[in-house]
Amino acid sequence: MKIHFVKLFLLSSLVILFSTSTSFSATRTFKDEARREVTFLFPPKRIVSLAPNITEILFSLGLDEEIVGVSIHCNFPGKANTKVRVGSYISLDFEKITSLKPDLIIATGAGNTRDMVDRLGKLGFSTYVIYPKHFNDILKSIAHIGQVVGREKEARGIIEGMRKRSQRVVELTEGLPRPKVFIQIADAPIVTVGKGSFGDDLIRLAGGENIAGKEKEVYPRMGMEEILKRSPEVIVISSMNPHGDYQKIQGEWNRWKTIPAVKNGRIHLIDSDLLDRPSPRIIDGLEELARVLHPEQFKK
Amino acid sequence: MNNGPWSLLIEFFNEIWMKIVTLKKVLTVSILLGLLLILVILLSITIGSVRVPPLRSIRILFQAVLGMKGVGSETERTIILSLRLPRAILAGLVGAGLSVAGATFQALLRNPLADPYILGVSSGAAVGAIIAILLGLGISSFGLPLASFSGALLTVLVVFYFGRQDGKIHPNTLLLAGVIIGSFLSALIMFFISVSQKEELHTIIFWLMGDFSFSNARAILIIFPYILLGVFLLYLRSRHLNLILSGEENAVQLGVDVERLKLVSYLLASLITAASVSVCGLIGFVGLIIPHSARLLLGPDHRLLIPSAALLGASFLIASDTFARTLLAPVELPVGVITAAFGGPFFMYLLKTRKVIKTL
Amino acid sequence: MIEVDSISFRYREDWVLQDVSFRVEKGEFIGVIGPNGSGKTTLLKILYRLLAPQKGEILFELVPIKKMARADIAKRIAVVAQETQLLFPFHVVETVLMGRSPYLGHLMFESEKDLDIVRKAMEWTNILPFSQRPMDELSGGERKRVFIARALAQEPEVILLDEPTANLDIHHQIDFLDLILTLNRERGLTIVMASHDMNIASEFCDRLILLQGGRIYKVGPPEEVITKENIESVYGCQVWIDQNPISGMPRISLLKRGVIKG
Repeated sequence: MKIHFVKLFLLSSLVILFSTSTSFSATRTFKDEARREVTFLFPPKRIVSLAPNITEILFSLGLDEEIVGVSIHCNFPGKANTKVRVGSYISLDFEKITSLKPDLIIATGAGNTRDMVDRLGKLGFSTYVIYPKHFNDILKSIAHIGQVVGREKEARGIIEGMRKRSQRVVELTEGLPRPKVFIQIADAPIVTVGKGSFGDDLIRLAGGENIAGKEKEVYPRMGMEEILKRSPEVIVISSMNPHGDYQKIQGEWNRWKTIPAVKNGRIHLIDSDLLDRPSPRIIDGLEELARVLHPEQFKK
Repeated sequence: MNNGPWSLLIEFFNEIWMKIVTLKKVLTVSILLGLLLILVILLSITIGSVRVPPLRSIRILFQAVLGMKGVGSETERTIILSLRLPRAILAGLVGAGLSVAGATFQALLRNPLADPYILGVSSGAAVGAIIAILLGLGISSFGLPLASFSGALLTVLVVFYFGRQDGKIHPNTLLLAGVIIGSFLSALIMFFISVSQKEELHTIIFWLMGDFSFSNARAILIIFPYILLGVFLLYLRSRHLNLILSGEENAVQLGVDVERLKLVSYLLASLITAASVSVCGLIGFVGLIIPHSARLLLGPDHRLLIPSAALLGASFLIASDTFARTLLAPVELPVGVITAAFGGPFFMYLLKTRKVIKTL
Repeated sequence: MIEVDSISFRYREDWVLQDVSFRVEKGEFIGVIGPNGSGKTTLLKILYRLLAPQKGEILFELVPIKKMARADIAKRIAVVAQETQLLFPFHVVETVLMGRSPYLGHLMFESEKDLDIVRKAMEWTNILPFSQRPMDELSGGERKRVFIARALAQEPEVILLDEPTANLDIHHQIDFLDLILTLNRERGLTIVMASHDMNIASEFCDRLILLQGGRIYKVGPPEEVITKENIESVYGCQVWIDQNPISGMPRISLLKRGVIKG
């Protein structure tokens, strides 16, 4: 009797020891792009995304099932609209996030606030922060996200495709004269993209010259006088609705006939999600922009 | 008389300095302030984020007025005539209108803290504008100022309805009604802001801060009749506004139909404010400090105060707007920041060196 | 000249004046006296049509005042009321000039004639020395004189005074009343004065109207109105009435309670 009891005791303690050690080895620690150490269950089975670009990246990595919550701004792909909404850039629904029991939350430094991330930490959630600032950073962020969700191979594939396509654009526009470009992201007041914005990078890659490229602010307000003086040859309206009222927008610019872009009718609409969102679709934006800047090169 | 022309001049100035307001005094001051205004307009046309040589700017202006063409490149002409000139005119009209409206409300409510926005007109205009923006109307559309104006008018009527007791307008009741309704509308504005998306938010806040960057001929044509008519009709009542300052019973005793005066001045001043705000957003400070400054410099008589406040207000707002668009060029500051930054300290200085408000 | 015919007035539910009738002859100096709340000030306000009585009417030289234009009333009746607001004070001369308002109509500026009349009014009230000073720099007595000058500038036939001697020391009270009396005797202006100071009313007025609870208690010369029975009945307290040794007019002395038995 006594021996059985000892065996049972030893066996059960071994089992307990084993199970705890297996669950222990299932968490991993990563350093995110804000140099924070983030520890979570790996690979994460329940992921919450706090920004639309992150959502796009996650879906493109095939994590349809793992995504349990997205922000209200997340609109692509269509499947994102079926996911639970957990908040916006301005405020998060912490109760909802808690009820979703995420293994990992992914946030972006360009949109979500440090305050939010800290609060999530205090509530016991692990948040991985990405912070892409330039075009090349986007590729890095996709790689990092691929790493932390355990889809490194898929990430590599996406990045390769993006690299190839951007290479093609650069080659096709190499040596061509760079038209002066003005990207308008807001109309009241008029706001454009300056140094350090994705739009600026895209213009350069697409073979154009950003008339606001030397402005220190990332999204500078520009007065009409300046725009008139800098005479852009192409105006790109970065609009929320790509099928928007082109007539109306054209009409509003028509007052300023001394601008070459207005005179030659080179005013175009490009979906703002393609020009300003650090996601795989940035390449679509790049290609559209290149097509607009150098139409002769891209006749299909 | 040995010093013929000199003694005439001295006599002229003596009459001007005399403590009463005469036609001569009003004309003299108006002409002087008018010259100042012209100077300010010319300056504002020559200053901007793009450098156009001043003489050329002025020549472009005069040639356009005379119907000739010639000087300056197309771009320069567009900048001067389509950007800077309409801006100056619009800022001048709004500055004049808000100043006169402010002076009128100060007399009507017998309250030195009154400004054109105190009775909620501006909040009503803001709600109208925000609703239009949320419905997708753009800043340069025709519908937005219309919606804004409607909101303002509705507010005027509601405040008026609540401000009356026994068929009479009581200044304190009016004030209370205006402040309460204004607060309610402000809460409504905050509600709209909290539920709006990023893009609309941007536009809403931009509108709320007040801006002249969309000045065009159409805006000027819309506003011009209201401001002109409003200021003119109020000016005709200046003498009666003087009388009402010492108390309504006094004014009645001197033969004034006080109820009618209150009604008409309330409506005219509100109309001016509504028109200004609908087109340009909420520009603060002007309607409060210009009347007080003019009063400190020239006295409380409305026969002199109204034209002076109008001309001073116009110059002030044009100058402020010019600063706003050039200080941090090419970035444009909201004009309300400049009116507060310059107007505030200047007014503090006036407060210190001369007494503004006597104790009641 | 002024006929008050059965007027009744109320603000809300309670009648402040009931069935008040009396006449004021040209050139009289009338005093309206009575306890607080008896309706003195309200009566005055009705006389210059600031308020309209619900019942009865007022005739000015046989014309009902409710048919007269406000400016016309202002040309005939001037009011020197209680202290006014000095939010943005005008200068003395500007204030007196306001008295010309009823004659200006739609005109914006005063003429030489107006300035002349104002100068004369200021001379008469002895305020020329400080005609260029702002109103808030004057003493109470000086301000009162400015308002009389303004009233004179209206070239009225009647002047209404509402508690004119309140807040004035006796020196200024005498000055003021002297001025008024001279206006009455030398210029033939009809004066109606509401006062809580019965001794002053007794001393200066030709006739007194004693109000109680919105009704007329007694009308008549001071000797008939200011009697022990009338005063004690209306005011509800004991007083001592004798004669002013110099003028012979009734004089009221206040008594502490319980000093005189019975």
